[in-house]
Amino acid sequence: MRQLIGLVCTNYNDSSFGALTKERPVASLPFGGRYRLVDFPLSNMVNSGINTVGLTTPYMYRSIMDHVGVGKEWALSRKEGGMFILPGSIYGYKNIQGQFLMRDLLRNIEFLERADSGSILAVSGARKVFNIDYREAAKEHERSGAEITLICTRAENRQGMFVTLDDGGRVTEMEERSGDGLLFIDSFLIDTALLLKLAEWYDALGYLDLTEIIRQNLPNIRTSCWKFRGYVGCVDSLSDYMRCNMDLLHHSGRRELFMSGVTVRTKIQDSPPAKYMDGARVSNALISSGCIIRGTVENSVIFRGVTVEKGAFIKNSIVMQGGTVGAGAVLENVISDKYAHVSPGVSLIGVKDNPVVIGKYMRI
Amino acid sequence: MNSSKIVAMLLAGGQGSRLGALTRRVAKPAVGFGGKYRIIDFSLSNCANSGINIVGVLTQYKPFLLNSYIGTGEAWDMDGGLFVLPPYYTEVGGEWYRGTADAIFRNIEFIDGYAPQYVLILSGDHLYKMDYRPMLEFHEENEADLTVSVIEVAPEDASRFGIMSTDENMRITKFEEKPKEPESCLASMGIYIFSWDVLRQALIADNSDEASENDFGRNVIPALLGEGKRLFAYKYSGYWKDVGTIESYYDAQMDLLNEEPEFDIFAGDMKIMSNSNSSSPQYIGEDASVEGSMVCNGCTVLGSVRGSILSTDVFVGKDAHVENSILLPGATVEDGACVKRAIIGEKAVVSAMSVFEGGDEIAVLGDAETGGEESAK
Repeated sequence: MRQLIGLVCTNYNDSSFGALTKERPVASLPFGGRYRLVDFPLSNMVNSGINTVGLTTPYMYRSIMDHVGVGKEWALSRKEGGMFILPGSIYGYKNIQGQFLMRDLLRNIEFLERADSGSILAVSGARKVFNIDYREAAKEHERSGAEITLICTRAENRQGMFVTLDDGGRVTEMEERSGDGLLFIDSFLIDTALLLKLAEWYDALGYLDLTEIIRQNLPNIRTSCWKFRGYVGCVDSLSDYMRCNMDLLHHSGRRELFMSGVTVRTKIQDSPPAKYMDGARVSNALISSGCIIRGTVENSVIFRGVTVEKGAFIKNSIVMQGGTVGAGAVLENVISDKYAHVSPGVSLIGVKDNPVVIGKYMRI
Repeated sequence: MNSSKIVAMLLAGGQGSRLGALTRRVAKPAVGFGGKYRIIDFSLSNCANSGINIVGVLTQYKPFLLNSYIGTGEAWDMDGGLFVLPPYYTEVGGEWYRGTADAIFRNIEFIDGYAPQYVLILSGDHLYKMDYRPMLEFHEENEADLTVSVIEVAPEDASRFGIMSTDENMRITKFEEKPKEPESCLASMGIYIFSWDVLRQALIADNSDEASENDFGRNVIPALLGEGKRLFAYKYSGYWKDVGTIESYYDAQMDLLNEEPEFDIFAGDMKIMSNSNSSSPQYIGEDASVEGSMVCNGCTVLGSVRGSILSTDVFVGKDAHVENSILLPGATVEDGACVKRAIIGEKAVVSAMSVFEGGDEIAVLGDAETGGEESAK
């Protein structure tokens, strides 16, 4: 098999997450109790045996760098290969559409130039949550003779980039729309040599997104599609974010992401175990280490080091790291950002598709 | 190799036979404790929190898990400073460590490599948080040859310990191992700071004494006292608990479940560090209940858990009931099983619908064993 190298693109922001992405890129969004979204693509790369991974950073890169460091937790701090930080341009932060800005590749073209010219590049965004083994997709990529293989999933009633195939399995169309069909999940394989050629052609058009360039070239470049059959969490908006977290409370979502035998790697913090005091009532919840629980938690995801005081009631909510929920407080359909403090007796009730967001460090 | 003012040597070679089935497969320092920790974490964290960067761990019993757990020492911020020191073969032969003093004697070269002024000797089977720096200052102020950390124990317990008598300046005048009629209540905590030149000589002398059992408490310290060396007692007054027997190991962990435990693993200062894993957050099921307990990452709880400690990756099945028990990493309590007043070893399994219950004595299921009696119901 040809060598696989990886590229994770995080230079992307989106205002549809409200306060959650005001000061952090989407890739840094905390997810599932102890992770950040970027953990999933990075883990996918290393769990597929890829040990050379480029990471294009967002313009606001503090939270990503703080989390990823030198890639040690992903076994990417190494002599042969390793993690390469590819500084992204400010445009990614402004451009709320593109995830794979050509400009970011052009700025870091050395990363590709140094790669084996026969290698295949696995590219991934960081707003879809899934566990994939790229080696399987790469086998199909080689077999089909395609130069680009888009990773897709069957989706119903979704908004996003859908692809159309001809009888030979070649992609003929990529279209941004809502509905059913084969949804592109922000990940693809591309021959490194082809990408270098595209970089040359589009040198003056760096503002374009790589997916747009692929779309324009569908008639010229053999592009195929690999259907991924596992769970895909599409984190495209605030309500998606809520729903994908809640998917982890279902056995199937949890099993596919956490119990499939591969490890989702993340920055390891050394917190004590979670402590449940007398009077704690917890059901159908993900709880992380370092929490102290005296109250009630139902259908919720609670991150590390959260304190839930006596008589507090949390339902259908996400409470991020270091939060405090005071005695007798009520949270329902709420997302509380890191270190938010909800005072005793306060009641906050959102609706299912429009959760109330409590900002980072806010006191209510 | 850089020199270091102080080198710590952690005595971890004992089999820990008093821990019964728990040490059948692993050395005592590697036995799980408090959910996500292993016994050795407490000593290593104390070293890290005291700014000690060079630690030798003396081991000779089933070291595989211990070795892999310690790794490079990175988990305790000692990358490259933490060494496992098993007995080794030399041109005159090789044998197991004969005693605590022999273990240090045979690693004189290791210690010399760092040219330390002081050597801190620790035994790894106690639960306590201690900054060793004030003790070192005390040692330096007194220009001591040896400083022994002591704790005041109840008179009726004194005969279980090494007991010091001191003068008004805390200089040790008498040292007795487990005396029948103790003269004082100052018990040795098994924590020694030696000036390295004095210890080095004492170890060489002890090694050439055929009658010696090569033990610090029984031989080396009494010999130094007899020579008129400057031995001082440093009084410690915090929480300090033995975890070397099933009973004490169990009790010390149950203490952690108190609302305000004396030994607080949540406290921000003197943080307990461990070689953490990347298991997913714990899942508490729809019909589960968890109260008065500690639960670690990677656990799935579908039944009820009360007054217990669930270590990493433990599974408690539907309608299972766990009470006043300690479940070590990877243990499984299958559907409908009942576990009370028990310690379930790593990756051990309590079979579905069965009962595994301790009485006056705590029931222990060894690592990777399957247990549980068929329920009478």
